[in-house]
Amino acid sequence: MIRLAKKSLTSMQDAHSALQTAIQIEFGTLPPYLYALYSILPDTNAATTRRIKAIVMQEMIHFCLDCNILNALGGSPTIANPSVVPHYPGPLPGDLGGLTIHLYPFSMPAVQQGMNIETPEDGPIDFPQDKLLATPQYQTIGQFYAELDRYLATLPASAWQANRHQISDAQYLVGNLFAVNSYADAHRAIVEIVSEGEGGPKSPLDFQGELAHFYRFEEIQRNQLLTKADNPKGYAWGAPLGVDWASAYPAINDPSTHDFSQDPPAAIAAQKACNMAYSQMLCELQRAMSGEPDRLGNAVRAMFDLRMTALHALNTPLADGKSVAGPAFLFIPN
Amino acid sequence: MSVLETPRIYFCGQTTFDPVTTNNYPRNYDEMGAQTVMTPDGAVQPFRDAAIADVTSNGNWNPHGTYRSRFFNTKILGVDVGNGTSTTDAFVGAPVNFLGMLVDLEPYGSMSSQLFFDEMSFGIDGGCQVAANCSMRMIARQINFARNPTYSCIAGVASVVWQTSFPKGASLPLYARGSQAIAALSHALDDDEVLGLTVRWNAYRTVYYDDINCRNGNPVMKQESGALQQKLLGGGFQPNPARSRVVGVLGLWRKADAPQVIGDRGLIQRAAQRIATASARLASNALVVDLGNSIPETGPDLAKKDLGTLGVFAGDTQIAALQPGDYDRAAYEQSAGIVTLPLSPASQQLAQTGDLSIRDAKGIVLLQESALHVCEITPNVYLNQGDPATLQVQVLSRGVPASAGVAVHWVNTSTSSPTSETTLTDSNGIAALSVTGASSNLVGQIDCYIASTTTPPPSEVSTQQTAYLWVRTLPADDNVGGLPPTWENVYQNVLYNWHAMAPCMDNWLRLDDPQQVAAYAAVIRQLTDPANFEKQRFMPVTRDLTAGQRTLLYAWLDSLKAGSQVPEAVLQATAPPTPAEMSRAFRAGG
Repeated sequence: MIRLAKKSLTSMQDAHSALQTAIQIEFGTLPPYLYALYSILPDTNAATTRRIKAIVMQEMIHFCLDCNILNALGGSPTIANPSVVPHYPGPLPGDLGGLTIHLYPFSMPAVQQGMNIETPEDGPIDFPQDKLLATPQYQTIGQFYAELDRYLATLPASAWQANRHQISDAQYLVGNLFAVNSYADAHRAIVEIVSEGEGGPKSPLDFQGELAHFYRFEEIQRNQLLTKADNPKGYAWGAPLGVDWASAYPAINDPSTHDFSQDPPAAIAAQKACNMAYSQMLCELQRAMSGEPDRLGNAVRAMFDLRMTALHALNTPLADGKSVAGPAFLFIPN
Repeated sequence: MSVLETPRIYFCGQTTFDPVTTNNYPRNYDEMGAQTVMTPDGAVQPFRDAAIADVTSNGNWNPHGTYRSRFFNTKILGVDVGNGTSTTDAFVGAPVNFLGMLVDLEPYGSMSSQLFFDEMSFGIDGGCQVAANCSMRMIARQINFARNPTYSCIAGVASVVWQTSFPKGASLPLYARGSQAIAALSHALDDDEVLGLTVRWNAYRTVYYDDINCRNGNPVMKQESGALQQKLLGGGFQPNPARSRVVGVLGLWRKADAPQVIGDRGLIQRAAQRIATASARLASNALVVDLGNSIPETGPDLAKKDLGTLGVFAGDTQIAALQPGDYDRAAYEQSAGIVTLPLSPASQQLAQTGDLSIRDAKGIVLLQESALHVCEITPNVYLNQGDPATLQVQVLSRGVPASAGVAVHWVNTSTSSPTSETTLTDSNGIAALSVTGASSNLVGQIDCYIASTTTPPPSEVSTQQTAYLWVRTLPADDNVGGLPPTWENVYQNVLYNWHAMAPCMDNWLRLDDPQQVAAYAAVIRQLTDPANFEKQRFMPVTRDLTAGQRTLLYAWLDSLKAGSQVPEAVLQATAPPTPAEMSRAFRAGG
């Protein structure tokens, strides 16, 4: 579980800072999820792939919504800057809980890590509440967003700058992304972000009736479908999901810790291409979220490039002839 | 029969439509030859540039489309297990998910749309769910060009009915999990007369440029199209999906129901009248009317036009009435435009034998049944040159299969002077016409046949009044198939077609890059295999790869050397990527 420093927001500066943290957290979940997703062998693990892909898409939406809120409050998201780009292995931004995020290929540790990141505020439905939640020094992501929401509600209408640097769903993520022009919009965004990640306190479903992130990961971990049932909790662990742990590329963990200098040139070049695509994506996202929304199309193109370079890297053997490396997600500024 | 009997499920929401629109224009695409119309020097970039220029000058609203159509914010709103609409079933509130690829069989026109897809899910895994795997593509019919007359924005005035059916069995699992409605559907599927489930949905109030204030030629449209053009000129991937409202119904597919088009009793639009064609079914004590595509809106705000109280007649006797509350927006969205009208035993008797009609308060007939209703069984057919096919229609007589010997006239409207043939229905009420793909080796052919029981048959298609069947015959392109399998020939005669027309392909595969194409040889073979024609991911999405082109493409793929995968000559001819291109060049991974 991610535990963030507990802090009451009392100023706009605090809000900007909290939103920048939120942006970094949402973005920071993407590389580990993508690393696991990319490493699943083609035409295998269909149910698993669907689940992780859906989570990734929603994390992207959360990232955009947080940027929209910050922009609406006159702030400026920082994205393509080495000081904020996450590094793996390492903590998620602001996490005081000691959770070190790794880039794992599709495996039990990768899925367990996803559950750790997405643990609901009140604990998973079938398990007792984590007592650590009650300690005053920490707050979960849900509590973090709740505090943010509480402060935003106190802002006057004049604090919101309508149509400032907003990203809408006109081209991508239709139906899930919207401009933030008021507190009402920001509140809706926060509710949706928390709901999609954690579900409800008594239901594993999010506000759209889809399974929340934690439970999607738990389904994979258990290799069982969470199934509606006639019992007090409303659900039970049901049929196998068809998880095939062996159907993954033999990718190393945390490629940023690997010394590629001894690997074949093709592997080195593949890593370089991944980092270039990733860096390009970050730079385009920075522009898109900084008043050039048209650049979102360039960022999306770079995302496709990243995917393709990752697949290439995952098919390029390292020096041992047995293992491969996915993208290290290293930001290389121009 | 059909979705008009219970049990049935209602849903409501929205969908995107994101087609590539560049091939809608003869100057860009030769639909007979199935070829992109290139600039004299055959260069792709000038073609793409011209497509972008057309955004503001010629209405080409989506050159970077993806063909995708995806439901969003769509969920189950109600069920009817025979006791009227209920919103308390456990299924209510479940999301409805759909992703398909929108393809017009006849690219220039608006009457041949299809959605190729793999699955449609009502509810989620583990919940109350109907997981419908595709058996046949969705077909659009009964386009209503007067649905929203004041909302004149591209096709915003129109609505259309989409339908397909799913055979019962392993590919159609139903999980009730507390839903009475799903349990009732499952039970109904035990009936040997029930073939599976049918989904029918209506798409309407389509918004373009994500701006409801766009109108053809107005300043907003000019501003939005100009903005899109600037995005396109700025590079990257710049789709411009339209979005439509959706209401739909999931119900039973019985024998004698045409799976992809509306059956039952046709209440046909009278020319120049105010509401569009509907259908009806006589239940044991009620008449069920499907007005899903019929009642116009007064504008983009979706308010339904108040037509007053409408009379439902059998012959000249009124048997029921439709009140405004039966067809207003709230009722429409709640039950997908399906209205159940209780009938007295006497009215029931009249309705069994009399032609149904719907009339306004002045007695003007708005919709009129004729006893025979022709429904397309093979609405959209693709052929290779010289291939035979059999077109079929189901003729219904007051909603049940017509007897043998009913004359069906088939009018080919695509020739300069329409030709007509006549065949007779068999004992199941099915009439058939044998056709053969055009024999010319120079061009293909797109034929549109009207199938009608009236004499003389109509010579022009009316989307509201006639059944029509499309046949697209792709040219053989024997000359292309016989070319030496070099990269130059493959690109210039096969791949450039889609490289030019579909810039969205750049996201997945650069079709002008022999290394990338070679690296994906196995995938390309799989996606272009005719056996996968109905699959969502079939390539080309537009289904216009000719037999000769496929032969040449496969010959080149076969020629790839084992190991390097790319012919040595190609490797030598390919310049190394620039640093800026490096990430793209590295798509050549497996």
